[in-house]
Amino acid sequence: MSDNDETWGIAHVHASFNNTIITITDLTGAETVAKSSGGSVVKQNRDESSPYAAMQMAETVAEEVKAAGIDGLHIRVRGPGGNLQQNPGPGAQATIRALARAGIEIGRIEDVTPIPHDGTRAPKGSGF
Amino acid sequence: MRVAVTGTPGTGKTTATELVETDLEVVHLNDAIREEELHDGADEERGSLYANFDAIRQWLDEQGDGGDDLLVDSHLAHHFDAEKVVVLRCHPEELRERLLERGETDAKAEENAESEALDVILSESVAEHGTESVYEIDTTDRAPDAVASDIEAVIEGEREPSAGTVDYLEYL
Ligand SMILES: Nc1ncnc2c1ncn2[C@@H]1O[C@H](COP(=O)(O)OP(=O)(O)O)[C@@H](O)[C@H]1O
Ligand SMILES: [Mg+2]
Repeated sequence: MSDNDETWGIAHVHASFNNTIITITDLTGAETVAKSSGGSVVKQNRDESSPYAAMQMAETVAEEVKAAGIDGLHIRVRGPGGNLQQNPGPGAQATIRALARAGIEIGRIEDVTPIPHDGTRAPKGSGF
Repeated sequence: MRVAVTGTPGTGKTTATELVETDLEVVHLNDAIREEELHDGADEERGSLYANFDAIRQWLDEQGDGGDDLLVDSHLAHHFDAEKVVVLRCHPEELRERLLERGETDAKAEENAESEALDVILSESVAEHGTESVYEIDTTDRAPDAVASDIEAVIEGEREPSAGTVDYLEYL
């Protein structure tokens, strides 16, 4: 199959300290194909941002994505996740791995985390 | 003891730290960064000075009692040594309104509201200092003097560490 025959979408991954939300849209961002949040797959609040929750969510979402006829996803990650040792955070990484395992092609991975700022801001690259 | 008071711009750090009754010397880091030129020029797009962390670290060590006995007000305060890190929180809707009222641009208010929704500063604080040193205080719908009392309780050792007590992610 040539690239031109494939249908692509965007996975918006919002990963906060407490939670992860995955929203799949078309390339314009206008139409939502699937959505899942950490609260829907785990019982304890503190587990909503865990890699396990993200993986469970991604597996469910992947089925809806395939049913909608989408072959590949670009990933837009926003937020540090519950753990900043890795970039993107564990929730985001688990999401990407689970989507790939479900047979979805992964395109560009972009980190669009906002930067807190007033008259001052952290230097570039001091984030995670 | 050095205590950091951090939190997304608009959470009320400067307002609250001005009301705190304490023997610690209160340092408003933004003023120092500007006046002492502890920066490397500006992010023109955001109208914001790039803080120079090495210069700030050195400057902080010269304040108070040889860098000790400080209460440091800044959304960057958690990037430096501190015994306790207070993280002020505010619901993104209210934060946005506070920033617009303070005269900030729409773009600035929105990027900070999104940072708050994503727990950016809380996550950084926990990553750098561990949950045992972080004290999260929700300021939503609360008066500045109540927030100041909570900060006093942290300084006096009358409050337990906490993190992840709010979830604002639905704002996005
Ligand atoms: N507890 C509060 N409730 C409502 N408004 C507040 C509160 N604390 C501060 N404000 C207002 O919100 C704006 C931001 O407060 P400020 O102290 O400058 O925040 P920061 O120093 O964290 O950026 C100011 O206009 C201030 O008057
Ligand atoms: Mg301030």
